[in-house]
Amino acid sequence: MTNIAIVNAHAHRDLQVKAKASPAFDAKHFVAVIVAEFPLLAVQCPILLSKDAETGAFVCGAVLGFAQNENLFLTQDGWQGYRPLTLQRGPFYTVGEDLAIDLDDARVGTDAGEPLFSPNGEMTPYLRGIINAMQELRPGLERTKRFIETLMNLKLIEPIDISLSFDDGSQHELANLYTIDREALRALPDAAVLDLFRRGYMQLIYLMIASLKHVPLMAERKNKQLTAGLASAPAWG
Amino acid sequence: MDRPIQHIVIVGGGTAGWLTAGVIAARHKARMASGFKVTLVESPNVAIIGVGEGTWPTMRTTLEKMGVSETEFFRHCDTAFKQGGKFVGWTTGAPDDAYYHPLMLPHGWSQVNLVPHWLQDARGRTFSAAVCPQEAICEEGLAPKTIATPEYRGLANYAYHLDAGKFASFMQKHCTQKLGVHHVLADVTQVKQDESGDITTLVTGQAGEITGDMFVDCTGFRALLIEKTLGVGFKDCRDVLFCDTALAVQVPHESDDAPMASQTIATAQSSGWIWDIALPTRRGLGYVYSSDHIDEEAARAELARYAGTQAEARKIPIRAGHREMFWKNNCVAVGLAAGFLEPLEASAIMLIELSAKIIADQLPARRSVMDIVARRFNEVTHYRWGRIIDFLKLHYVLTQRTDTAFWRDNVDPASIPERLQDLLRLWKYRAPWFLDEFDRLEEVFPAASYQYVLYGMGFRTEVDLADNGASATLASRIMEENAAMAQKMRANLPKNRDLVRKIRDHGMQSI
Repeated sequence: MTNIAIVNAHAHRDLQVKAKASPAFDAKHFVAVIVAEFPLLAVQCPILLSKDAETGAFVCGAVLGFAQNENLFLTQDGWQGYRPLTLQRGPFYTVGEDLAIDLDDARVGTDAGEPLFSPNGEMTPYLRGIINAMQELRPGLERTKRFIETLMNLKLIEPIDISLSFDDGSQHELANLYTIDREALRALPDAAVLDLFRRGYMQLIYLMIASLKHVPLMAERKNKQLTAGLASAPAWG
Repeated sequence: MDRPIQHIVIVGGGTAGWLTAGVIAARHKARMASGFKVTLVESPNVAIIGVGEGTWPTMRTTLEKMGVSETEFFRHCDTAFKQGGKFVGWTTGAPDDAYYHPLMLPHGWSQVNLVPHWLQDARGRTFSAAVCPQEAICEEGLAPKTIATPEYRGLANYAYHLDAGKFASFMQKHCTQKLGVHHVLADVTQVKQDESGDITTLVTGQAGEITGDMFVDCTGFRALLIEKTLGVGFKDCRDVLFCDTALAVQVPHESDDAPMASQTIATAQSSGWIWDIALPTRRGLGYVYSSDHIDEEAARAELARYAGTQAEARKIPIRAGHREMFWKNNCVAVGLAAGFLEPLEASAIMLIELSAKIIADQLPARRSVMDIVARRFNEVTHYRWGRIIDFLKLHYVLTQRTDTAFWRDNVDPASIPERLQDLLRLWKYRAPWFLDEFDRLEEVFPAASYQYVLYGMGFRTEVDLADNGASATLASRIMEENAAMAQKMRANLPKNRDLVRKIRDHGMQSI
């Protein structure tokens, strides 16, 4: 159930939110992102496209793991690296122009979290950060949609199959993922290239292409985790 | 008389006219800059018959090649998915008598003939369920794909149910706006021919004279060019297929979210059968019957009983048969002008597509080579009509019903084409498979279709146990794979009704 309420200094004065990443909410292997996050993400994980299961519409997303609910960025020491805005936002929503919160969300309580307001009723830096994130997210989703539409119209999207085998014998295949069709990109007419460049899309396209290199790097990290136990085992085991 | 073929004139603006125009224009679009032209002349006063609300999977390729968005096609033509036919009451007429003719080939089709293995040990499964996942999908009301599947791609093979009237307008728009087809609204009052008999000019009431190099007769039952002008005769086949009348009616769904079948349901009646086709907005029903076996009053009563409504049904006379020749001089007939058969296997629109495809692909460059193409067109089209008639008759000859004269008369050997009789004799000892008897590249009904009907209707082929032993392991592995595939599809596919709604709301992606 959800119980959405507009955030208000009076009613929510004592409210606290568990803002740190946790397995209950952050254990996701694919998270939708907006184009403004591409530079931050491209240095740590693959940025790919996938289809929304409800509408079939394309979304841009960060690949954080190789199996359902696996997130290699979520460790015992918390989140390592950049955490996408849709996870940062936690239990917050936007209703019209207002910031709202789901009071029934398990992260919302009155202790052990980040307060929204200081004892004298002022917004805490945490809440300010959330407001900034939400202000970035909403128009960001629109901009991302337009970016994807442009890729579609120019036929620059192609499916990508990622299949990995690890040293413990496990195999993973990631389906429903798409990336930039580099051959189609090279074949674009000059006018289209210039247009992509002027709109800032060329940089996004190359960030997506470059980010693919994180697939083997992340796979290696996962492999190390999987074989960490084996390495200490006796050689004959 | 030698001249380049540059201007194709199509007469008639129904499904046949617009599909043919679209297929030819799309194929020859590049030549339009250098004078190639497609014109469709349509009478502003003639109503469209709108036969057939069912297509074949071929329609997916046909539309895709014409550059039609499948999403738009769903939104504008009341389109729904079709995954095959379900035949109810054809074998015994008992309450549980039904079988499927799905659109997917039996699993492992090219590797092993599963028929003898299924005959040896059916393990309680129908033939279609043992070899193909589609019966299970249809019985649960599931769609052949998900919202994430790209346009024209399917997880299960599929065709369409559509509103034929809306489809003609949709195609008209696409042809004129995207494919450069010229549209002339005018009544043809006179057809001029040269001394060789070639059609040269259409004189119209509203648009003056229209000259052309080649003419396509899509004027439906009127057959204005092929019959009235060129005098080509009609080959009746009522001695084989008895039905000569249809009563059509539309009924609403029980509610807006009532389950929507993705199979055409054909339910046997006393003297014919009733089609039941679900579109998102309504169900289309029709009783196809033989007026020699039942009078109209009684037929209306049977339809009303099935439909659960007294709504007035529209009467459509059916003349089963086809032209003695389809392409004569510089004129080719497509659609109802070429012929008509009862819509038992939705062959009408499919034949339009196949004909249009040959015309477009083999379009003669000059008049001097047209007769060569015409001969080949006539040969292959004759073959196709023959095979369709055989295949439709197959549904009747396997019946065990003796309750009415209609069913008894249908098994009279005198009404069964010789080729079909031979095949039935052959199949007593060997099940049809692969390219055995049907070896054309574009065979209208492959051997798989014959398998579905034969073994859906309880036909028995002698099983050679020793021969079966040689492929038993392979056959049981393939049938296990099929069962696993069916289970997976049942778990992952959405409800047919829900997916069609989602397509209308969100659209499908092109990749």
